[in-house]
Amino acid sequence: MAIEPGDIKRIVTPAAPVTRERMRADIAKMLHEDPEEISGGDSLIDLGLDSMRAMNLVLAWSEGGLDLEFSEFAEDPTLDGWWALVDARQKARGG
Amino acid sequence: MNDRPGAAHPLTEAQSGLWYAQRLDPANPLFNTGQYIELAGPLDRAVFETALAQAVAEAEALALRMVDAPAGPMQIVDPARRPALEVIDVSQAPDPLAAAKADIARDMAGPVDPARDPLAAERLFVLGPERHVWQQRIHHLAIDGYGMILLTQRVAELYNARRRGSEAGAKLPGLAIALDEDAAYRASEKREKDGAYWRELFADRPEAASLAPGMPTSAPRFHRRAVEIDGAAFARLREAGERTAVPWPDVVTALTAAYVRRHTGTAEAIVGVPFMARLGSAAARVPAMLMNVLPLRVTPDEAAPLDDVLGTVAKSLTRARRHGRYRSEQLRRDLRLVGGQRRLHGPLINLLPFDETPRFDGLACRLEVLSTGPVEDITFTFRLHGTEGLRLEVDANPELYDAGTVEAHAARLKHFIEAASAAATLAEVPTATPAEAHRHLFALNATDHDVPDTTLAALIEAQMRATPDAPALRFDGRTLDYATLDARSAALAGALAARGVGPGSLVAVALPRSLELVIALVAILRAGAAYLPLDLAQPDARLARIIGSAKPRLVLAQADAEERFAGEYKIFPPEKWPAVLADRVPPGPAPGDAAYVIYTSGSTGEPKGVVVEHRAIVNRLLWMREHYGFTAADRILQKTPATFDVSVWEFFLPFLAGACLVVAPPEAHRDPVALARIIREEKITTAHFVPSMLAAFLAEPHAQGLSLARVFCSGEELPADLRDRFHRTVQAELHNLYGPTEAAVDVSYWPAGADDRSRPVPIGFPVWNTRLYVLDEAGRPQPPGVPGHLSLGGVQLARGYLGRDDLTAERFRPDPFRPGARLYATGDLALWRPDGAVVFLGRSDHQVKIRGLRIELGEIEAAVMASGLVRQADILAREDRGTTRIVAYVVPEPGADLAGLKGFLATRLPDYMVPAAFVALDALPVNANGKLDRGALPAPDFAGSGARAPETPSEVRVAALFAELLRTEAPVSAEDDFFTLGGDSLLAVALLLRVREAFGRDPGLGALFAQPTVAGLACLLDGDEGVTDAGLTPLVTLVEGDPALPPLFAIHPAGGIAWCYGRLARALEPRRTVYGVQAPALAPGVATPESLEALAADYVERLRAVRPEGPYHLVGWSVGGIVAQAMAVRLRALGLDVGVVAMLDSYPADCWRAEPEPDEGAALKALVALAGHDPDRLPALALNRASVLAFLRASDSPLGMLPDAVLDGVARVVASNSALVRGHYHRRYEGEVLHFRAALDHKERDLSPSLWAEHVADIRVIDIPALHAHLTGPEATALVAPVLARALAERETNIRETTACATAV
Repeated sequence: MAIEPGDIKRIVTPAAPVTRERMRADIAKMLHEDPEEISGGDSLIDLGLDSMRAMNLVLAWSEGGLDLEFSEFAEDPTLDGWWALVDARQKARGG
Repeated sequence: MNDRPGAAHPLTEAQSGLWYAQRLDPANPLFNTGQYIELAGPLDRAVFETALAQAVAEAEALALRMVDAPAGPMQIVDPARRPALEVIDVSQAPDPLAAAKADIARDMAGPVDPARDPLAAERLFVLGPERHVWQQRIHHLAIDGYGMILLTQRVAELYNARRRGSEAGAKLPGLAIALDEDAAYRASEKREKDGAYWRELFADRPEAASLAPGMPTSAPRFHRRAVEIDGAAFARLREAGERTAVPWPDVVTALTAAYVRRHTGTAEAIVGVPFMARLGSAAARVPAMLMNVLPLRVTPDEAAPLDDVLGTVAKSLTRARRHGRYRSEQLRRDLRLVGGQRRLHGPLINLLPFDETPRFDGLACRLEVLSTGPVEDITFTFRLHGTEGLRLEVDANPELYDAGTVEAHAARLKHFIEAASAAATLAEVPTATPAEAHRHLFALNATDHDVPDTTLAALIEAQMRATPDAPALRFDGRTLDYATLDARSAALAGALAARGVGPGSLVAVALPRSLELVIALVAILRAGAAYLPLDLAQPDARLARIIGSAKPRLVLAQADAEERFAGEYKIFPPEKWPAVLADRVPPGPAPGDAAYVIYTSGSTGEPKGVVVEHRAIVNRLLWMREHYGFTAADRILQKTPATFDVSVWEFFLPFLAGACLVVAPPEAHRDPVALARIIREEKITTAHFVPSMLAAFLAEPHAQGLSLARVFCSGEELPADLRDRFHRTVQAELHNLYGPTEAAVDVSYWPAGADDRSRPVPIGFPVWNTRLYVLDEAGRPQPPGVPGHLSLGGVQLARGYLGRDDLTAERFRPDPFRPGARLYATGDLALWRPDGAVVFLGRSDHQVKIRGLRIELGEIEAAVMASGLVRQADILAREDRGTTRIVAYVVPEPGADLAGLKGFLATRLPDYMVPAAFVALDALPVNANGKLDRGALPAPDFAGSGARAPETPSEVRVAALFAELLRTEAPVSAEDDFFTLGGDSLLAVALLLRVREAFGRDPGLGALFAQPTVAGLACLLDGDEGVTDAGLTPLVTLVEGDPALPPLFAIHPAGGIAWCYGRLARALEPRRTVYGVQAPALAPGVATPESLEALAADYVERLRAVRPEGPYHLVGWSVGGIVAQAMAVRLRALGLDVGVVAMLDSYPADCWRAEPEPDEGAALKALVALAGHDPDRLPALALNRASVLAFLRASDSPLGMLPDAVLDGVARVVASNSALVRGHYHRRYEGEVLHFRAALDHKERDLSPSLWAEHVADIRVIDIPALHAHLTGPEATALVAPVLARALAERETNIRETTACATAV
């Protein structure tokens, strides 16, 4: 099996788990907001998040080796919705 | 919405635009998106097939069937249309990968008819046991780029899950979600708000520019060039993103927009940014066409910190995305940008910040994206691949960009982004790459050439001594030899010296064209002084200002001009000049002394005197002598007024070549008849024309057939059409020269020969010891194709402005690229072509040229203000139908009477500077920044033309239909354009339906696009009484071309309609008028003719009605060729001149007599063929009227829009023509026929052009590798047109030569 450089990175990079708080902080930085301003159910679009920023976030969270699909994130852009996706994927990976 | 299988839904907003675009360009295959993936490794083919089948079943859009219903197109999910995997084994091919790629390229090149064909194909090429290529092709109506990724990833996911035995993720959602969401959005308040946002943002209707001139169109292919962005630079871009909290893709978009702005030369760049429209959407995971393009306005502050610029652009992008679901097609309609004349945005910038390659367990994958839809203009795509690499792909429309330009953009944008990644401001970043800069500054300006360091006086004296007996000068029938010129100029030079004239002094000359004028100029130079030409036709005030500032030591003028100098200057008139030299010839000037001072218009209202030294003008004249090979045999016409610096070479070049100077009578330079006579009678070899004068001269019948060695143009832009007209009228070389008075007449040259196809005509390359620089605002060289400021360097630069050191220092500056050298900023805008030739683009300031004369509008404005009648004034040069006129916009002083203004100006300005129109306003319009808004100044009423109310009954009815459909408030005028009023292609279809109801005729969508005004459309509908064509009149204008060229008449084939020649007509170079000759019997109630002879005679009469004299060029396809031969016979019998007779695969009537009579099926087949399809390749098409009609409508042929009566007419004409051919017996045509043979056809029949042998005198056969049915298609036309064009040109050259001889006899 051929191994792509991306796969190598996925395999060798220690998977620092993505936490809900890290996600909240990353989103806040993108929006030039304080993390406390972002509640779990807020529509991130209403807060000013756009697709390129969202995609950038998803890509950043995938770097630890999580297989995240942007399209799933796009369906429900809230912190709660996104955390559910990340959490599920991390549990599946850990288990 | 109804989810019942088979339910029909209207197209979404996103699909509608594509649907109509594809309808307008049905042969374009680029509406298919496509990609392939090379799969290396052991592919489990069974699992792959299962995974693919499931993914395809989930992606309902792939099974869409489109139906063109009367109420508009509809879509239905039809499982029967679902693509099944096609497995193609190429493993036996010598190079299996090449075989697969070739097959894929063929597949992608085939257009899809969305109303007929399946929208998607899935194909797997087997290259070997462990090598596969998976190709997907899906029409853009069904999917967008992101949808393609979703689908591809889903296949991989299903494949991997099945192989691992695990559960795959959730299914792809059904299409209904996307359709529902689209419908909901259409009805939502959000859409209203989004629309309002965009309309406000674009309320000022900015002009969007791109990287190439011309309007974007759909093209069937595109150029692609890909480069890698340097890894370190990409890392810096990501860091910049981190630092500024701007996503790095937005960083790249901002920099690319800044790059675009550098090329458009505008303050603002408007780019298009593809937007996936999926975030926060329930349809986020639906493979469908949702993508939108957002117009982004970017005004990068080049001096600001780059981080700030990135933040600003990112903010605009975020705002745009917040309103991003509002369709750009709708915004175009809102802004009335439909109809193809204006853009919403320039280049597209597409960022794909993720690796799109799917991951199949056990396989290595390589993805190649082939097409993401038509490339209308130019698209910059940045793709992430692997995890670290960033690839830039430049895709461009070949009709607007050549391959070299695309390659240059790829290299240049890469360099720009890499440099910007390390820059603190954009201003630091050059546009040109280092290689481009070096080539432009040095390689193209390597013009060093040894020129003797001498003076004009010394060179003339040497020639006078060398050939004393040769004729030097001719005027009014008298000739002066060089010895006499020497003696008389020496005598006058001595007299001038005696009056204190010598090096450093200035002598004014105000003599009309005469022998004395030339003697005076040579004498002044020999006395060591500089001459100052004066035009006595200008007003006293201006003359006094010039004399007052120049302070000449002496004035050489006729005695009666004394009063013009108000007694202040002593006149030295010719009758007082000595005939013989009293003392000795003065020593003369040094190379650094001034040779002449010529005054030009000045922006401050004060004319300025340009001082040119001997060294400069010697370089210019010796270059010209060598470059064009002037000899003693030349006879050079002097017709330019001495106050215009072109006269300098006319006066002195002959004396440097031992040639003869022929001086035209005073005022002759404005009289084309007099000029033509003098050129002919005096056997002139060389003459100069300002282009506008050349245009007037060529229009003069006496200019026809003149023959010279060379003609020079300068002083104004030389239009390409004028160049071509020149070569059709006059036998001579044509040379385009350029230069300001400040650089010794001309600094660049371009041979505008008969074979020159340049548009525009360049000003070309630098002369000896001269440099041309096109620089940006920061003084850096521009890359090719980018406008900049033209600066000049080298030996020809003037010393400066007489007595105006301030102005001299402002315009003549140190050359930053050549230590110690100077540069002159011309104030002209220019660009370098890729070949290095310089193209003049216009003025960067307020200076204009009228009839070659340089005019500073500031000087006019100063004069207007000096009248005391106006408070404010703005002077503009307006171009209206090719004529430039000066218009003065003034705000009068209260109570002032402007009636006297024009008279006042005439006393202060030369006639060519007095405005042609005066427009009084209450205030001058200003824009938001308080600056004068020139765009808001009203056009002056030159011809009394304003908005014309509809007049004819048809115009009134059409105007009413426009008003009704477009819901206009103001009354619709006759000139109003359907698309500028807000019409779009949807409304156009509705309009045509209403037109059909109201008029019983439907001119078709294409005709509406060509004639979108009320008057134009009404004219079409008025049919044969109107000046324009309804498309079915017996004589239809297929192309309008040069009226000086005899038109080509294209005779219809069997169906009676001649539209099929449209492509050929457009492909002929030079462009000439092409008429289609169509069967009159197409119209109901018109009887079919009794014989083919009668038909030919009728057509000949129609030809003569539009063109009373020959030569008549004829071309005919199939039956059309038989008719053309009969027409040629008839024309000859009437004593008329037949030009070229060309046949497209026609064979004599004898070949058809034995064939069975055609039935209705044959007529219908002819119709299908007319629509551009090969009927024999459509065996499934039932040959009855209903199905053929349905086919024509579905295939988007304009024929499908014809009223039934006309289709009946076609059927009748086909039957009639068939009978006429069978009953026809050819008469012999005593001339040549050009026969284009369909070389791929007639395999089963022995048809040969030689069958014509007994019916024509001679036959020339050109084999075209095409089928008979395809002879007017694009491939065949590309081969036929040049041959036909050459034959037409050759025929006309013969005629011209014959006429020229006849005139000469």
